[in-house]
Amino acid sequence: MKQKHTPFIIIALFAAGAFVPAVLQKYYLNMLTEIIIFSLYAISYNLLLGYAGLLSFGHAMFFGLGAFITAVAIIHIPGLALWNAILIGVASTVISGFVFGSLLLRHKGAYFALLTLAFNALFYAVATKWHSVTGGDDGLSITRPDLNLWFTSISMGSLTHFYYLTLIVVGASITFCWYFTHTAMGRTVLLVRENEERMKFLGYNTNISRLILFTFTGALAGLAGSFYTLHFQFVSISAISIDMTTTVLLMTFVGGTKKFWGPILGAFVYILLQNYLSDITDRWPLFMGLIFVFMVLFIPGGLSEVITNTRQRFFGKKENNGSKVAGAEEITS
Amino acid sequence: MNEIPIFFLHGLAYAGLLFLVSAGLTLVFGMMNVLNFAHAAMYMLGAYFSYSIMLRFTGQLWLSLLVCPIILFVIGSLIERFLLRRVHAYGHVQELLLTFGLAYIITELVKWYWGNYPLAVNIGGFLGSTIQIFGMTYPVYRMFIFVCAVFVGAVMAFILYKTRLGIILRASVNDREMTNILGVNVPFVFIGVFGFGAALSGFAGVIAGPLLSTFPGMAQEILIDAFVVIVVGGFGSLGGAVVASFLIGELQSFGVLLFPNLSIALVYLLMAVVLITKPSGLFGEEQ
Repeated sequence: MKQKHTPFIIIALFAAGAFVPAVLQKYYLNMLTEIIIFSLYAISYNLLLGYAGLLSFGHAMFFGLGAFITAVAIIHIPGLALWNAILIGVASTVISGFVFGSLLLRHKGAYFALLTLAFNALFYAVATKWHSVTGGDDGLSITRPDLNLWFTSISMGSLTHFYYLTLIVVGASITFCWYFTHTAMGRTVLLVRENEERMKFLGYNTNISRLILFTFTGALAGLAGSFYTLHFQFVSISAISIDMTTTVLLMTFVGGTKKFWGPILGAFVYILLQNYLSDITDRWPLFMGLIFVFMVLFIPGGLSEVITNTRQRFFGKKENNGSKVAGAEEITS
Repeated sequence: MNEIPIFFLHGLAYAGLLFLVSAGLTLVFGMMNVLNFAHAAMYMLGAYFSYSIMLRFTGQLWLSLLVCPIILFVIGSLIERFLLRRVHAYGHVQELLLTFGLAYIITELVKWYWGNYPLAVNIGGFLGSTIQIFGMTYPVYRMFIFVCAVFVGAVMAFILYKTRLGIILRASVNDREMTNILGVNVPFVFIGVFGFGAALSGFAGVIAGPLLSTFPGMAQEILIDAFVVIVVGGFGSLGGAVVASFLIGELQSFGVLLFPNLSIALVYLLMAVVLITKPSGLFGEEQ
């Protein structure tokens, strides 16, 4: 397929990203940072939904946990380095992803969806009630700590500096996700979705594969949440609410679950729409909902499918040559 | 401890409400294998329609109880016929996403039309009054909820286990294709079941309006509890829904009395224990 070109596309995107602060106004740079963070969140969600076929309604619990733990760590541990704040946030989601994953993954399909929703509600309830730690409805305000490299310290007060940090760390994580989907482990997850029985016959422990993937996506969502806190320098219970799951679901689905880059496109479109629609009307969530249902009914492949189909129609033949492994090539870069 | 009987009654009232919501949910799930995320949105619509009806005809709760389920039956049937059936071929994920999207849209529409704040519904007359029980005054309305739930549960059980319609329904649960081959119009039955589930949910919404306040977040609140009921009771089991509603209603009620700060966690704790010890639920069949 087109995997040969992908590394060059990634490098080109990073290079373009590096030049952006010179051109863009602060308002747009702010938006771009948000888009990068939410891209990682949406991609981690799509690894569950698109690759493993697990529909989770509780992804916000990891996003919110990462966001809250980072904020609480920065507030309560004076002089905490930026790396460690992020690390603590991610570590907490790894642990909770493993613990809750082993409980939730006992069920599949609709049962799994229902349970994840219920556990997300539990996290939300705890965050709301535990006022002394999470700040309840008021949320927590933080100041970004400075970034300490080996011999120098970079102030994170400026948006441009933080943008570069986000671009490098979150961008690298997204690239790693792309790499992950091409590893043996990534392929295993895909094949388990397609034919679990056969994978079991072949000697794979499918439950372990799923648990590893669930923990991994939880950690990625936690990293996104951690950066979310650092970006806004504020975290409220909305970060761990079911609305945050709805957000990622809309992003992923609008962008398309069948392509790796679908969720990135989705995050981009969603945040742009959110910014422009909310200027025009207060009812923008309604429009997002209508778009979502329309897409579920008529374009299940999302925007990325529309783009791929259009490209195929105007610029040449279908990309596959008929030697498709059942379903295995369905998701490509 | 004079409060115990009173809290027991509170628990019964909430259990009744939970049963009314989760019975429809579990019925639709058992029949059609669709987990309806929009179910609680129907419940909310019921409450809001009832509010509007009561605004015009003050104190006429019976009118709401009659009209709202009919409206929601129509809405539910239309959703099944024109939306859900269309995505059925794409599988479960698509169905779940559709109902989730519908719930989202309904919530936004409700916020738009009725506003994003709680509304109070006043019931006058005998239902709004209090009676003396266990030497304390107790609102009649809460007991009315419980009576309604028992009545609905009894009617459902009668239809399911004692009538020809019930045989058809149970047969469809058991083997959809074979029932279809034997000459039952299963797609038509599905419209009816989905509509009935929506009507039941709307009925619960009408009843819930005066007890809890009517606000756009009410759907999500009851949805989670109804999901817990289904998980604990067992998927698709009506008897399980009865027992689990009772357990969770009482747990919530006494949880508030005994551990005010932990009351929410208790329900989830129960769910976690059931999941670990018996993943299919108390009355569920092994998968």
